[in-house]
Amino acid sequence: MDNIMNLMEGFATALQPEYLIYGFIGVLIGTAVGVLPGIGPAMTVALLLPLTYALDPTAALITFAGIYYGGMYGGSTTSILLNTPGESASIVTALEGNKMAKLGRGAAALATAAIGSFIAGTIATLGLTLLAPTIAAWAVNLAPADYVALMVIAFITVGALLGSSVWRGLTSLGIGLFLGLVGTEILSGQQRYTFGLLPLADGIDVVLVAVGLFAVGETLYVASRLRHGPVNLVPVTRGWRSWMTKDDWRRSWKPWLRGTAIGFPIGTIPAGGADVATFLSYASEKKLSRHKEQFGRGAIEGVAGPEAANNAAAAGVLVPLLTLGLPTTATAAIILSAFQSYGIQPGPQLFTNQPALVWALIASLYIGNVMLLVLNLPLVGIWVKLLQIPRPYLYAGILTFAALGAYAVNFSIVDIVILLVIGIVGYFLRRYGYPIAPLVIGLILGPMAEAQLRRALQLSQGDLTALFTRPFAAICYLALVVIIALGLWLRHRQSRVERALAAAAAADTSVEAAVNHMWEPGHRPSDVKTSEIKTVKRDDE
Amino acid sequence: MTAPTTPAPGSGPARAAGASAHRSKLGEYVFAALALALGVFVFVGAFGIRVPGSGTQVGPRVFPFLVGTILVVSAAMVFVGVLRGKVAELEEGEDIDDTARTDWLTLAKIVAFVVAHIALIEIVGWPLAAAVLFGGVAWTLGAKRWWIALLVGLALGLVVYVVFGGLLGLSLPGGPLLGWLDPLVAGLRG
Repeated sequence: MDNIMNLMEGFATALQPEYLIYGFIGVLIGTAVGVLPGIGPAMTVALLLPLTYALDPTAALITFAGIYYGGMYGGSTTSILLNTPGESASIVTALEGNKMAKLGRGAAALATAAIGSFIAGTIATLGLTLLAPTIAAWAVNLAPADYVALMVIAFITVGALLGSSVWRGLTSLGIGLFLGLVGTEILSGQQRYTFGLLPLADGIDVVLVAVGLFAVGETLYVASRLRHGPVNLVPVTRGWRSWMTKDDWRRSWKPWLRGTAIGFPIGTIPAGGADVATFLSYASEKKLSRHKEQFGRGAIEGVAGPEAANNAAAAGVLVPLLTLGLPTTATAAIILSAFQSYGIQPGPQLFTNQPALVWALIASLYIGNVMLLVLNLPLVGIWVKLLQIPRPYLYAGILTFAALGAYAVNFSIVDIVILLVIGIVGYFLRRYGYPIAPLVIGLILGPMAEAQLRRALQLSQGDLTALFTRPFAAICYLALVVIIALGLWLRHRQSRVERALAAAAAADTSVEAAVNHMWEPGHRPSDVKTSEIKTVKRDDE
Repeated sequence: MTAPTTPAPGSGPARAAGASAHRSKLGEYVFAALALALGVFVFVGAFGIRVPGSGTQVGPRVFPFLVGTILVVSAAMVFVGVLRGKVAELEEGEDIDDTARTDWLTLAKIVAFVVAHIALIEIVGWPLAAAVLFGGVAWTLGAKRWWIALLVGLALGLVVYVVFGGLLGLSLPGGPLLGWLDPLVAGLRG
């Protein structure tokens, strides 16, 4: 039971006042950026990368992990309380939670989301604790060809399954891989795509790309079509003690556990991230519920399950990151580059080479979950206030900090110029529906994939078949086919369910709106005009 | 309660037009074509990478060829998709009004303020340049009183300047006007 000893030592480190403070700062910032629209954990971690050169690796990584977990909690508050008419059910929880809030049950929705996140986060962290050392011990035997297979899986699934269009995702991945190529190549010292420019010889800084795309690009996109007027929140009246009734508890605990069981495994495999887990949990809750008619109108199970799945998946993502060095989300990729900036390479050796760091990090996740429960339940009022920041100030602040983060890399204004250029590119990516995450993952994972590929081919003396003949690699490629097929099918179902949900929600205002949500104008089954649709008067509501 | 049979008053313009309908496809073609061109550039550029003659099996060109291929194929498929009428599905966001048209003037103003920020840092110092950026962007996005935005930006700039210099040991340029803050920064650094 070495691992329990190690974990205890991890707690001993993470409970030191200094690290407790860093953990607290992390979850605080994480919740804040999760609550605020327009920024997320990926961009925040990237922004803080240069600021943490002053910290030791343990402190920095505890802070980043806190931001990562906190971001997962904060998002639900926003989707439950922010009352933006016409918002589609891009995240299923948003719809159920928002409906609950409008029915005066916002407090229950917030509580079931926070408690569910806590339970799922804790169980999933336990899963991480048990699983990670075993996987790491086993992964020591993986050959370069196996890593190539794993990275191909990560690239293809992230590229094809994140975002709405397979080819747009892969294009975005390709751009990221290209940006990763720019600079001096490690093995032979050759310059690639630097145009002989000195600043490009060191490669393009991850901070500039991530902050430029996530912060500047997103701000420009929002600014180009900003929803003007005051921020419209659904009021929550009751105090937090009376938030959940007995019945709410009874209806919530099973979805929490099921959500965890769905979310954690999905998080560990590169299969499109938390979105898939959220949707699967929602679909299964709907199927199992005795209150099916409430789904789409504020069913508590539809908040409890997906929120739990979301957090469990977040912990699951850390398994391949820590044991294989394989990031499957944008935030994980940026945390990976944080490791690298300290000269630490996550992977099977991490648990033997850096046990103190890893176990302190894992222990901090347990502690962070407890802090987050407190921050998000009794203190939810703070975040509601934060959500009311007038948007002009919010986005001005995001841009100012983005410029600061870029400047702080080298204290050179050239970096802000690069940031602006990348931001403008990011704006167009966003505008034309290219997902950002594959680009960031391509940029960070690309150089590692190239190194493994070349090592594998060197071992096999250039024989390409060696990439596929190792049993593990072969299994990976088979799994890839299955994951892609399953992922695409799931996404198809997801978009159908979301459309139906949005239509159900819109039906409360008008039939026309419902029809418009269900189908795009060109795709209606027959050419039904909205004006021809008659409504039946209902007396049951 | 009876469900209304007519659209509720004030429900706004129907989303029918959708985000996709009034957006021209031209931009999509241009962007896909640019990605395709980038792919071709990566592929062709790979020939220009010097390969050291040390008999290694896999040189520094292999991966660029692969990346170029991925870019060319996927950008071409996007292009074909747009030709077939598959326009981009846009992610929505809390603060995005998806019935609004793109406001190019706002974008231009924001870019201009970032450029001004870049130009000003080394002349007036970071805090004042940050105030210009913050105030300018907030004003562009519709902050009610521009001078409050500017003051908030100035406060933010000064706080960041002191915290950065004092607690993190990263000295941002203060500029000629802010020398009086130096004792405070030095004091914090202890």
